Amino acid sequence: MSESEYVIETTALRKRYGRKWALDGLDLAIPRGRIHAIVGANGAGKSTLFRVLLGFTPPTAGSACILGRDSRCLTPADRGRIGFVNEEHTLPAWVRVEAVVRMQRRLYARWNEGAFAEVIGHYHVLPEQRVGQLSRGERAGLNLALALAQSPELLVLDEPTLGLDVVAKRAFLESLMYSSAAARCTVIYCSHQMEEIERVADNLVILEHGRLAHMSAPEDFCARVTHWVADVPFKGPQPAGVPGLLQLQRLDGLHHYLVLDQDETFGDFLRGCGARSVQCMPVSLDRAVNGFLAKNHAAPAAA
Amino acid sequence: MWDLFKAELLRLRLWTAAYALAHLGVLVFLARLVDLAQQPLLVYRVFGCVYALSGLLLGLYQIATYRRPATWLQLLHRPLAPWRIALALHGAGAVLLLAGIGLPLLLTAAGQALLTARVVDVRHWLLPVAAWLIACGLYLAGSYAVLGLRRAALAALVLPLIWLTGQASGAAAIAMQVLVVAWLAALVLIVFKPDLEAPPRRPLAVAALALPLQLGVYVAFLVLCFALEMLWIVQGSHPLNAVTAPAGGAIETDRMDGRQRLLAGLAASDDPQAALWREQVALADVLSVGGQIDRVLPRQALTNRAPMELDDAERRVRWVFSHDRMRLEGYRLTDGSRVGELGVGGDAAPFAAPALPAGTLPGLPRGDALLIAGDTLYQYGSETGRVSPRLRLDAGEPLAGVQPLGDAVAALGTQHLYVYDGRDAADATIVLTPRLRIALPGAYGDLAAIDLVERVDGYLVSFAFTAQQSRPHGALPYQVVLAVDDGGRVRTVARRTIAPDFPALYRYRSWWFSPALYALRTAAAERPAVPDPFQATEAAPIPRRSSRWPSRCPCCPCSPAPCCCAIVPCRRRHASAGCSPARSSAFRRWSRSGCCTGRTSGPTRQRRRMSRRPDRSRASPRRCDLARPSSPEVSCMVSV
Repeated sequence: MSESEYVIETTALRKRYGRKWALDGLDLAIPRGRIHAIVGANGAGKSTLFRVLLGFTPPTAGSACILGRDSRCLTPADRGRIGFVNEEHTLPAWVRVEAVVRMQRRLYARWNEGAFAEVIGHYHVLPEQRVGQLSRGERAGLNLALALAQSPELLVLDEPTLGLDVVAKRAFLESLMYSSAAARCTVIYCSHQMEEIERVADNLVILEHGRLAHMSAPEDFCARVTHWVADVPFKGPQPAGVPGLLQLQRLDGLHHYLVLDQDETFGDFLRGCGARSVQCMPVSLDRAVNGFLAKNHAAPAAA
Repeated sequence: MWDLFKAELLRLRLWTAAYALAHLGVLVFLARLVDLAQQPLLVYRVFGCVYALSGLLLGLYQIATYRRPATWLQLLHRPLAPWRIALALHGAGAVLLLAGIGLPLLLTAAGQALLTARVVDVRHWLLPVAAWLIACGLYLAGSYAVLGLRRAALAALVLPLIWLTGQASGAAAIAMQVLVVAWLAALVLIVFKPDLEAPPRRPLAVAALALPLQLGVYVAFLVLCFALEMLWIVQGSHPLNAVTAPAGGAIETDRMDGRQRLLAGLAASDDPQAALWREQVALADVLSVGGQIDRVLPRQALTNRAPMELDDAERRVRWVFSHDRMRLEGYRLTDGSRVGELGVGGDAAPFAAPALPAGTLPGLPRGDALLIAGDTLYQYGSETGRVSPRLRLDAGEPLAGVQPLGDAVAALGTQHLYVYDGRDAADATIVLTPRLRIALPGAYGDLAAIDLVERVDGYLVSFAFTAQQSRPHGALPYQVVLAVDDGGRVRTVARRTIAPDFPALYRYRSWWFSPALYALRTAAAERPAVPDPFQATEAAPIPRRSSRWPSRCPCCPCSPAPCCCAIVPCRRRHASAGCSPARSSAFRRWSRSGCCTGRTSGPTRQRRRMSRRPDRSRASPRRCDLARPSSPEVSCMVSV
């Protein structure tokens, strides 16, 4: 099979559950290499996208390819090239760690013992322990170690740090970032934790309502979002009239505007609206993404 | 795959060990009390149900734990074909069932064979296999119910029902079990794939799923019919639980005593002597003849319909029939030690067919017992300790039962009723020869009662064929009265057509919903089985369109005739015929009175007048004719 330029490629991908569209015409092309973070509000379609890509849910319309193969026709060999770690870290609880490792070792032709040892070294996991006896963080680490030892071409991590404490989360991220195996494959990292994404991601993909809302490097996205603080002595401009407005707050008599794709002219706009002083500040990725996603978030009609 | 298999074994090993120990404990306990190899069919069915339930629960539990989306993804997203993963999981399940169900049974059979003098035949060694296959079948059905398409999830549970309705025995029964288990395994393999909601696409897979699905709908319909019948019973108008059976019907005939049945039969006779016979019947003793065996017992049948053993109270010995040896094997009731083997005659020849105890006859020495084996009646003599043949029916005709008939002895075969001289019955050395041979005027499977009175020069015999009145494969109920003289000449003196108590719609409910599935079900039940003369019936032709149904609509002149039970189709048909029945005064009357009331138009009323039950229809004019046999409305619905 010829190697595709993209590890993931979807065209007008749609998936409907009942009356609701989980994916609504998603056009996405993720190139090989690097760590790509996929973020989105709950219900944005991230997990559905992974299920469709791995062939566990059929798309309602459109096409989805993973490693150049139609997701509906994945062979066992294709699956061997794709690692997957989900948030539940589901491994058979009654099996010993050594048995799980032995099973995976036999199953994957390109098993990399060094990569496994490199990752599992971050955790205090004993081979004779049963999976059910491991803490959630240790299970996450074991799962990551198993996935990286498979030497996958593509590693999909679906909210892998969900429910982990700060220490376990840090251990997980470090084992991912400093793993040589991870460096050799394309990683799709799905998370709601922006500080994690800020640390690990080279590319940021934002999904909103089942559609691609944004794709760029995280710092590029941060650069698009700016935070303006204006001292407006009266009511200020109508929100509908504020260009690129993502979020508006009034704190201590000051108007805080979070806007998208606005340059210095936005300061002139505020001044034109009566602002006595205007200040522009950069925003963190967390703030930028939150503001971006909150813009179109559902709210009651009265709000 | 091997690792998955081992992991799955590991997962449930403790539960399985506990189950196996408990199972073995129950079996050993029961084996201490009774001979488990000689239990009536009900006991085997109870055990079978427990194994089936165990398999079902294992299937539901084991696979349901993998069914959650994240777990399913983790299980199947690996470089292993889904069918191999399925094989690993279900192979482990099958091994666990073998350990929990098959092994304790096998140990019990081995214990019985090695440590006791009880009979353990090949068929008993097959019982653990049968039990394991039952459990495996339901295990796979449970697995499919979890994994299959939501609307078709329960369809797989239909396939094991074939075991309940099937009549196969011995190796054929095992073959049927293997077939069903293989089918269920194929269904599980078809649905065991990443996308559980995707329907199968390959033609073979579609066919494999479609048949149980259609059978499921068919069974659901029959269950619905059963539920409606329960409502009918609750409502109190069901013919079987009504205080008074419908007049002139089969239930009324069944509830009559022998004298009443004979009189009812003679009432339909136009024989010149009928009046005289009626007087005789009113005064004479009426005797009844019945069978003791209702199914043929093939050699090496897995289960007994009844224990195949007889006790010699004098010697304190129990004789048990062995299918392997085709002889009786005895052990002492006092200490359980083996006594020996008992065959036919002095040279202990094997029986020609499996022998079942058949009680005794008046006049036989105390302690003697009778055995029925195929076409022959044997007598076990407690004094001589021998088995000798006492009577043999013609040409291998299976013997259903033997009983005293006044001074004579009657033997009922599947084709004839034989009468023997009772004086010779007590002498065990004499093989009886029939004095009279009366051919049954119908099929044995339809036969419900035989009543007779002795005349000066013979017998007056009534045969009531009402047994299958509510089933499509039997004869419509009727009664025949024969006059038999001592010379063996038989004359039919009356043939009474008995009104069915159920409408054709009820009788053919399992047929009309799907003739094809009915045929399939019948074939699946009967084809693998040994033909059973005890079940032979003379099926009445299925009514396609009643000849009594008028060619013209009773309420308007359009044609073809409508169905009066279904007002909407009737209207539609009228409309399509281009007439307006609403303008017909008869139609308006009919609409006002409701469907199938006593106030119908001319032809219907005329039919009712001709009916034998005018009082009933007058007493409940609004009663639906569903409960009325032979109603033209029902016939019409069937033809529709």
